[in-house]
Amino acid sequence: MSQNRSKLIDIFVGNVSNSVVHRILEKAIDEENIRKHYDREFLTSLEIAKRYREKINPKSEFPEKDAEEMKEMIRNKVKKELKKRESKGYKNINFDLIDSVMDEILKEMRIIKK
Amino acid sequence: MVELIGKVSKGSKMDQIYIPKNRESIPVGSYVIIKPLETEKQEIKPYFYKVSIEPIKVEIIKNIMQIIDRNTDNENIIITGSFLEKGFQFNDIDILVIGGNIKEEILENYLGVKVHIISIANNALIKGLETDPLYNLMLSRCVSKKRVIYNIKRKINYKLLDLHLLKSKINNFESLKGKEKYEVVRNMIAIKTFITKKEVSREKVDSEINKLFGLEEIKENLIGKTEFNKKYKKIYTETERLIMEGIKNESK
Repeated sequence: MSQNRSKLIDIFVGNVSNSVVHRILEKAIDEENIRKHYDREFLTSLEIAKRYREKINPKSEFPEKDAEEMKEMIRNKVKKELKKRESKGYKNINFDLIDSVMDEILKEMRIIKK
Repeated sequence: MVELIGKVSKGSKMDQIYIPKNRESIPVGSYVIIKPLETEKQEIKPYFYKVSIEPIKVEIIKNIMQIIDRNTDNENIIITGSFLEKGFQFNDIDILVIGGNIKEEILENYLGVKVHIISIANNALIKGLETDPLYNLMLSRCVSKKRVIYNIKRKINYKLLDLHLLKSKINNFESLKGKEKYEVVRNMIAIKTFITKKEVSREKVDSEINKLFGLEEIKENLIGKTEFNKKYKKIYTETERLIMEGIKNESK
C-alpha cells in the first residue's frame, strides 16, 4: 500500500466514521432535528468521503481482508467518539447500530458488496 | 377592438372556451390569442432586514413572491442566503415558504436560476430559531413578504448542538473549496457564539471569522494550511469542550 493511498484511506475512514457517529446520535436525541429542513445544501462528511473514495483504488469493491481491516478502523473510531459522549452522561446511544450503519455507508461507497 | 371573456371548460378530448354565437366580430375561422385574464395584482412590498441589494434583485424577489402566492397558500415567504450578497456570485436562491410548499421547477422555469425551497411550518421555524444557530443566521439577514416578528427565547440543547458541530468536524481540509471552508467555519463559530449566549447574526459571525482567519482569505481559499488547521482545531476543541460540559451538567 503506497503512502499516498494509505493517507487517502485514513481521511476516508475519518469522514465515514464521522457520518456513522452523526447518524447514531441523531437517533439518540430526544428532540426533532429541525436542521433537516435546511441540511440539503450543507457539506457533509459523507460527501467529503465520496470525494476521497474516487481517489482510492480499487474503484470496485475492496478485497474482503482489506474491507474488514477498514471496518475495524471505522468501528474503533466510532466507538471512541460514542464512548466519549456516554462518559459525559449522554444516554440512549445505541452501540448496536454501529455495524449496520457502517455497512450501509460502505455499500454506498462501493467498499463492500450491496 | 372587441374583447370577449370566456371560461375554459373541460372537454373529453380537448378543453374549450365557449363564446356567444351572436357577436359583432371574430367570425368563425378567424385566429385568436388566448391568454389568462390577470386578476388585479396586489403589489408586494417586501420587508428588508439588514439587506441592501440591487434593484433588479428586488424585482426578482417580488416576482418570486407573486409566483409562490399564485401557486400556494402560505403564511410568509422569506428569501435568504447568498442571493442577498452584493453582486451576482450566488449559486441559488434560498426561499423559505412558511406554511406552504411549491415545486422548485415552477420557479426555476420562470427565473432560469436554481432555487432551494425550504418548506417549513411556522412552529418548526420557531423551534429552529430557539435551538439552532444556523436558523438565527438565516433570519438575521433576509427579505420577507410579511413582517418577521418572533419573540424567541434561546434554548440550549447541547445534544442538538453536538450533532450540528459534527458538521464542522473535518479531518482534512485539502479537498474543500474556499466557500465550503467558510461554511464549516461559520457553523462552528455560530455554535460557539450561541452557547456563550451572544447575539448570533450574520454580521457578528462574519466579523468573528474575519478577526480569526480573514473573511475574504477563507472564502478565496488563500489561507495557509498550517496556520488554518492550528487555529481551527483550537476553536473546534474549545467548542466541543463547552458542549460536552453542557451534556455532563444536563445529565446530573
